[in-house]
Amino acid sequence: MRIAAFLPELLRHLFKKPATIDYPFKKIAVPPGFRGTPYLRPELCIVCKACERDCPAEAIEISDVDPAEKRFRMIIHNDRCIHCAQCVDSCPTNPKAMQIDNLHEIAADDRHKLKAEWIYVRAVIKPKAAAPAAPAAPAAEPKA
Amino acid sequence: MKFQIPIGPQHPALKEPISLRMTVEGEVITDADIRLGYNHRGVEKVAEGKNYIQNIYLTERICGICSHSHSTCFVQGVEKLMELEPPKRGMYIRYLVSELERIHSHLLWLGVAGHEAGFDSFFMYVWRDREIVMDLLEMITGNRVHYAINTVGGVRRDLDEAQKAKILEGVATLRKRSEYYLDLGANEPSFVARIAGVGLLSLEQVISLCAVGPTARASGWDRDVRKEDPYAVYDELDFEVATADTCDVLGRVVVRIKEVLEAYKMIEQMMKNLPDGDIACKAPRKAKPGEVVSRYEAPRGENIHYIKANGTDKPERLKVRAPTLGNYPATVEMLKNGFIADIPLIFAAIDPCICCAERAVTLVSARTGEESVVSTAELRKLALARTKNAPVKRNAVWPL
Repeated sequence: MRIAAFLPELLRHLFKKPATIDYPFKKIAVPPGFRGTPYLRPELCIVCKACERDCPAEAIEISDVDPAEKRFRMIIHNDRCIHCAQCVDSCPTNPKAMQIDNLHEIAADDRHKLKAEWIYVRAVIKPKAAAPAAPAAPAAEPKA
Repeated sequence: MKFQIPIGPQHPALKEPISLRMTVEGEVITDADIRLGYNHRGVEKVAEGKNYIQNIYLTERICGICSHSHSTCFVQGVEKLMELEPPKRGMYIRYLVSELERIHSHLLWLGVAGHEAGFDSFFMYVWRDREIVMDLLEMITGNRVHYAINTVGGVRRDLDEAQKAKILEGVATLRKRSEYYLDLGANEPSFVARIAGVGLLSLEQVISLCAVGPTARASGWDRDVRKEDPYAVYDELDFEVATADTCDVLGRVVVRIKEVLEAYKMIEQMMKNLPDGDIACKAPRKAKPGEVVSRYEAPRGENIHYIKANGTDKPERLKVRAPTLGNYPATVEMLKNGFIADIPLIFAAIDPCICCAERAVTLVSARTGEESVVSTAELRKLALARTKNAPVKRNAVWPL
């Protein structure tokens, strides 16, 4: 037993740099494989709705736009998203149509601004060709 | 003269809402009453409407600190229901994350114990060191808190050589720091004097009140699910159950530091013996009708999930017994004969995770004290009436 056993440790740290960083000006890089924001590559999506079925937060919504043209709309509600990346795991296409990036500073002042929306034509998988079907050029751009 | 002091549901000494009613004589607590239900979220009901894959992420969100414990406990049960044999490598990675989580949870608790005892510099240093294990978890799983590494039939991410080296390096640093804290605990007389003899719970009381986890082990009751009913990889690991015999908060600190040291040992063994092969096997979406009870040693004690399957892809019933619930009866005994100033310390010593343990709500009339059961619609009507009658503050102006 001795008094102030912690003191040497405290004094030693007086001459060290702070453990924190000036956040908005300096940023720590996230590790590879970080689960950020999900996004769709519409040219690859076959509309199997596996992601919609498995999403724990019900953040993915796929609806018909024009059944005759096989045109669909996918909305990802990023305000509900829990960033588990289960949609990426559930996606059966190769390469995967559902992807996740490492963006994590996605805050907005309104939850409706966090919606991401794609209107696209369903991709057709050719059994032999590895390359996916050509994207439907005008409609494939993300709108929000 | 006897009187009652209500602590909570909202109180600066508590991090989560719970109501503790202390009957005191002067400064000494003679009786304590714990009331739950201020943070009920209806997790069990939600689980009935989601499929097994979605429920992994739901159970993970029962607790923020021991998130992996709940999801592992659930997945273990579902794997038993589906009669799956997950590959060994997947199991090693799953329980590696388990042990890393135990380290982060115990280091967090050590910091909180230091804070409650008035030793705030200890709290700052422990939490700084905890960042090492948080970064390791982020590197392995892709997130700091909700790891989401479990899936039915294994894990979702593999480890590579660089990650293995980083884990070993991080564990070596942490071990050095933990040994320093163990040494500090033995040497700092003011810290020891604050926590020794506080919150006494004898071995007989532990047994009769069914306390779990470090609370029970600090009274010399060496029960640990990992040792008694070794699940998955624990029968291949060499470790000891940490116990103490002082029966007080000091014992609970010692047990947790010892457990952290055991966890480093286990991680090193797992890294050395990590088998090759797959990390997950293919799982069906539906489970055959049946029921299962799954046990898991969470950082706070034994976690129990009961799952009943009805042949569809959704469970018919999920029952969660969080370890904190098992420790409440013991907490009442610990608080008795203590001082008012010791309440935060004693209560923090069970490492309470209040909203994990909330399973019901009681509606008590403030006027008559009558308890009643109402439907959600009625409750909503009551809430709306309450807000309507509240004074309007919308047009308030700054008086200066």
